[in-house]
Amino acid sequence: MRNDSPFHRLPRQSRARTRREFLWRSGGGLGGIALASLLGRENLPAAEARSATPHAECRTPHFAPKAKRVVQLFMAGAASHLDLFDFKPELIKRHGEPSDFGEPVEAFQNGLGPWLRPVWEFKPYGQTGRMLSEPVADLGRVADELAFVHDLVGKTGVHSQATLLQATGFNLPGFPGMGCWVSYGLGTENENLPTFVVLPDHRGFASNGSKNWDAAFLPSHYSGTVIHPGAETPIADLFAHKKGDFITRDSEAAAQSVLAKLNRDHAATREGDGRLDARIRSYELAARMQLAAPEALDISKEPDAMLDLYGVKRYPPTWPKEINAGEERDCFGRKCLVARRLLERGVRFVQVWSGNDNGFPRRNWDSHEDVQRDHGPLAAGFARGASALILDLKQRGLLDDTIVLWTTEFGRMPSTQGGKGRDHNPFCFTNWLCGGGIKPGVTHGESDLWGYKPADRNNPTTVYDIHATMLHLLGVDHERLTFRHNGIDRRLTDVHGHVIRGLVA
Amino acid sequence: MNRSLALGILAAAVLPVVVAAADSRKQTDSNDGWSLHPLVRPAVPRIQGSKFNVQNPVDAFIVAKLVEKKFAQSPEADARTLVRRLYFDLLGLPPKPEEVEAFVKEFSPAPPLPRSPAPDNARDKGRLGERERAAIEALVDKLLASPHYGERWARHWLDVVHYGDTHGYDKDKPRPNAWPYRDYVIRAFNGDKPYARFVQEQIAGDVLFPGTQDGVEALGFIAAGPWDLIGHAEVPETKIDGKIARHLDRDDMVANTMSTFASLTVHCAQCHDHKFDPIPQADYYSLQAVFAALDRADKTYDTDPAIARRRADLLAKQRDLKPKLDALNKQLAAAGGRDLELLDKLIRETKAGAAAEERPEFGWHSQISAKQEVVKWVQVDLGASVPVEQVVYVACHDNFNNIGAGFGFPVRFKVEAGDDANFEQGVTMLEDQSKADVPNPGVSPRSIAAGRTARFLRFTATKLAPRQNDFIFALAEVQALDKSGRNLALGAAVTSPDSIEALPRWSRKNLTDGYYYGAGKGQPATKLADLERQRADLVARVAEASLLAEFATHAKTTNEVAAELAKLPAPKVVYAGTVHHGSGSFRGTGPDGGKPREIRVLHRGDVKQPKEGAVPGALSCVSALPSHFSIPSSAAEGDRRAALAKWLSSPDNPLAWRSIVNRVWQHHFGHGLVDTPNDFGRNGARPTHPELLDWLACEFRDSGGSFKKLHKLIVMSATWRQASETPGQGDAETRRRAASPAAPRPRGPAAAWIDSDNRYLWRQNRRKLDAESVRDSVLAVAGKLDPRMGGPAFQDFVIEKPEHSPHYEYHLHDPDDPRSHRRSIYRFIVRSQLHPFMTTLDCADPSISVSRRNESVSALQALALLNNGLMVTMSKHFAATLNTAGGDTATQVKRAFTEALGRPPSAKEAGDLTAFANQHGLANACRLLFNLNEFAFVD
Repeated sequence: MRNDSPFHRLPRQSRARTRREFLWRSGGGLGGIALASLLGRENLPAAEARSATPHAECRTPHFAPKAKRVVQLFMAGAASHLDLFDFKPELIKRHGEPSDFGEPVEAFQNGLGPWLRPVWEFKPYGQTGRMLSEPVADLGRVADELAFVHDLVGKTGVHSQATLLQATGFNLPGFPGMGCWVSYGLGTENENLPTFVVLPDHRGFASNGSKNWDAAFLPSHYSGTVIHPGAETPIADLFAHKKGDFITRDSEAAAQSVLAKLNRDHAATREGDGRLDARIRSYELAARMQLAAPEALDISKEPDAMLDLYGVKRYPPTWPKEINAGEERDCFGRKCLVARRLLERGVRFVQVWSGNDNGFPRRNWDSHEDVQRDHGPLAAGFARGASALILDLKQRGLLDDTIVLWTTEFGRMPSTQGGKGRDHNPFCFTNWLCGGGIKPGVTHGESDLWGYKPADRNNPTTVYDIHATMLHLLGVDHERLTFRHNGIDRRLTDVHGHVIRGLVA
Repeated sequence: MNRSLALGILAAAVLPVVVAAADSRKQTDSNDGWSLHPLVRPAVPRIQGSKFNVQNPVDAFIVAKLVEKKFAQSPEADARTLVRRLYFDLLGLPPKPEEVEAFVKEFSPAPPLPRSPAPDNARDKGRLGERERAAIEALVDKLLASPHYGERWARHWLDVVHYGDTHGYDKDKPRPNAWPYRDYVIRAFNGDKPYARFVQEQIAGDVLFPGTQDGVEALGFIAAGPWDLIGHAEVPETKIDGKIARHLDRDDMVANTMSTFASLTVHCAQCHDHKFDPIPQADYYSLQAVFAALDRADKTYDTDPAIARRRADLLAKQRDLKPKLDALNKQLAAAGGRDLELLDKLIRETKAGAAAEERPEFGWHSQISAKQEVVKWVQVDLGASVPVEQVVYVACHDNFNNIGAGFGFPVRFKVEAGDDANFEQGVTMLEDQSKADVPNPGVSPRSIAAGRTARFLRFTATKLAPRQNDFIFALAEVQALDKSGRNLALGAAVTSPDSIEALPRWSRKNLTDGYYYGAGKGQPATKLADLERQRADLVARVAEASLLAEFATHAKTTNEVAAELAKLPAPKVVYAGTVHHGSGSFRGTGPDGGKPREIRVLHRGDVKQPKEGAVPGALSCVSALPSHFSIPSSAAEGDRRAALAKWLSSPDNPLAWRSIVNRVWQHHFGHGLVDTPNDFGRNGARPTHPELLDWLACEFRDSGGSFKKLHKLIVMSATWRQASETPGQGDAETRRRAASPAAPRPRGPAAAWIDSDNRYLWRQNRRKLDAESVRDSVLAVAGKLDPRMGGPAFQDFVIEKPEHSPHYEYHLHDPDDPRSHRRSIYRFIVRSQLHPFMTTLDCADPSISVSRRNESVSALQALALLNNGLMVTMSKHFAATLNTAGGDTATQVKRAFTEALGRPPSAKEAGDLTAFANQHGLANACRLLFNLNEFAFVD
């Protein structure tokens, strides 16, 4: 029996599975991995760099890459495609009429109300006439750069599962975040900075917390490094804990030197153990990271015009308690500016979050009660920072090889759920991408008349397709980037995913 | 840099040879499902000649392979290496210097052997005599008898079963009753529980060993993994999303069971027949059917079998009474009509209002004391001398640790009032309970008459409240009431010689904040009594006398049963796989009498495409055992689990015994005989020594499934006792000869090239300490390790916003808090916010089964070991201990070095470190020691 679920489409051709774990394990064992990750590819001739890679199958790039790095903007709580990007005139026409989906609908919370028009006006932008709603008007500045996908489908309407699915490709915890896979596949461009950086919402983590970027079964150094720009300690343990008052600049320098000396003597009587050398080198790298990271995070020397572009205030005021556009703009813009500085310095993958957990009062995009109240400030906040980031990357010539991906957990329903809010819609939502080999200005996949489900229900887009496309642009075949865990060759795309050709320039 | 680079290139250069060998073996040797073959005890190979050190059958198998591969054995490690290796292998803790010295003396009265192995005659020189053997045996026995052994090996087990103390997923709520399962595992290892029983208890302990504590606590295994609270509590099973959540939940139970006990990836047969192993999809759903009645939930139980029986009887009685009472209530409701309905609604609302909001401000808490007869006091300053009519005090209620009412209330105490802050003169004794022990008052407020003007009230504990191994004094509230009943102490300043300030739960200011557990319940109580009187009047008016009489009799019996139940000590609670008696969306199967849910084979694993029904069973590919459990559909759900437990632990189940001995082997050598401990299928690795694996499996099974015997067998072997050094890499000529097919028997150097990964164990593996061993060692060496065992986990984070999605803030934790200085196995393991320090050190992720930890080296790891709060505070404490012991810097450095590494420093090392310590202080030198490669690795 054929299963028409988009998650069960069979691969176009079955590929022979080859296993080369033995190669990886033999390559000096785990020390080999450590060496490979620590040596940094740019220091090695290409051939050696490839053979030092963990899996033979993972010798990357598999083909010529168009992009080198990724920035992912993640809207926690599920942002409404209908009120931001997916313009549905039918909803304006039928606003207030009893909703009729033509089939029974199982909503997350029961009780779907009448059709609800987009809560803001839409206007066309750019030469492509891209329709954008009022709070994301800032994106009009880069409207022609963006490529939209309006027919994404999820698996469930449960926040945690949906977040994990978009972030890791699986709807249960225990799988590496996409940034981990990219780091694992491509390695570092600047060993003095983490390869994968996470910039969380200023209020705290989204659902699942660090499970969205943990390395899971991949070695721990592939996990996302959380950075809180502007905080007292932006990176955990970058400098000595405040109780370490006995540590001074001088003691630190002397300690490094004595430590290296004793470690070298120790290693000298233990030949052939690459881990010992790798660990000696890790302390040199740590010292270099202590210099490189603060420099990368310091936005104080950015000119006023640059801060202004991102919507960042040099001296932010005390913000009101309630969610507000000024604070959203400042916080998200700050993260985008930091993201640009990190990408510029060779960080491979930056994940920027908007929205905290699903609690009350609302502190993320989960607008069951009032779309206008929560979506308004959050949208205005991210749109400013995101558009500035795109403009800024472009003026620096970095947009050509940097993929920007905007995503969320799922969409929201075209009807109310009684009041001014919308329930979860895992059956249809929007992503947009730009830069890094993405074809500008296109739309791949439309939703139906109401934005309830994909227009073509048999051929929706899944997160696997988005991930496959992203890896493809990075020069990686998503079916060949694998890691064996507990007997299974794991992939970011599980056993699914197709490169979306229509999005590739 | 150049050196590392060179190694990388050299490693690459030698690869093709190795890979070719591996590939050809795979092709010629079609994987025949080796792990499913029946277990037959192989003959122990006979090793001829005296070139090899063969201490026991383990060595015979290993040496036979070495002979075949033409590899040499490495010499025995020296005494210092052995003692440190034994401590870490068996306890996960470093030996103390005196323990090292004692062993070295026992082992070899002569000077210890040189560290680097001599090239040719080392084997003869390195072989042990009886004296050394006896010394090792005595130490092994001592370590296996240590309670720390169970802590070490339980951690390995908890990695595999993905144990955690929170649910994971969205919200990630704490799971405060998970720890009894963790303690069960520790106890099982320390008590050397036979493995078959260990397996059976974790799947069906409640059924196979009813009335035992272990039988219930072991069921924490089924619930060990993550749980999707929203998918269960907010989405009913009737919805698609609800079905998916429950399907995923059962999938985790099946995967956990089969990965852990059978080392198979059965969960890969969820959408289709297994692609690599002979596991049909139907088998997977048969396993789901075994767990079909269960959910993850708190399960109550009694450790005293007599009380367990009594409670079971009373509960049964209560269940019997309920339908009749319900029926009578219905009749009454019919008679009472709308008036009674309204009155009942009012009563319900009043009761709900009375259930006062529980707040986290528990009260004031003294520092922990090691002795009980210690005087501790806390006092309230009313600001001025004022007339006080009454003094009210209330004990604490610590709901988090499930200790409950009366937490920390002293056994003896006195309450005094006065105007002298030091209570030296003009003191009035208000209550003196310092002569004899008094019972714990629970949380009911106690009031005592004062009748004088006073500025200060002092509450003095003269005999503290006992906890597991220490003593405390805690108090929720002190009030000073004037004539009108106004509380004069509200917000008053509080002083005490010591206090644990752990906001929001514990603080001095909590003592006078007007809040205590149950505060606010008083007011609605009168109203409630009034309403209940009205109800009684109404019922008496409308109902017939016979109905009333019958109701009264039944109500009386019901109340009596309830009163009897209330008299029993509070039951214990463990978070376990259990029949859940819930309501609303998270209903469980309890309301249906624990009847298992119907399980159907799902086409492509899609809950929307159910196919034929599944019957409980196990795997058809294990030919020695019947895979279908002939269980009538009317049977209790527990019969299904009991059948699976017996299937898994059967002497004829070849998977179970191979699986477990391989896991144990792995933790003694760094890798298993099978390199994929959770996958013995075709996609997994093949055993390097299949005969040894089978011999160990049979030996373990036939000698009662004793872990301790197995450990001893392994660590007493010459194989385990080998040195870990890789002999010199050799010159180009050695390498060339080694690669040639006609090569003569290679010496060590050549083995290093052909088998650089040491699959054939021609040496021991140098092992990098796991995260727990690093943390525990640092605490131990600094003299701060709190060895208390068991009980609720310590939290080395602060929880913010606990009401919705708790934020677990590790950076707010004070690394000096002694409560967090216990062994790492007692750490409260949060799933959504992994411990930054431990995770950087490759600690297991509690969301996945970790059969073998990753071992990474990174700059972030170096930063964590240099800068983390724990590391810097322990460096300070270590230095303080050394300072207390006295001596000059050189002496102190020498002692520090020996404590940290188990050996005295060389003159050069001592010189370098002393110079450094002289210039930058001892604490910096201690921090340096903690960061040495030698500290992080075990030879």
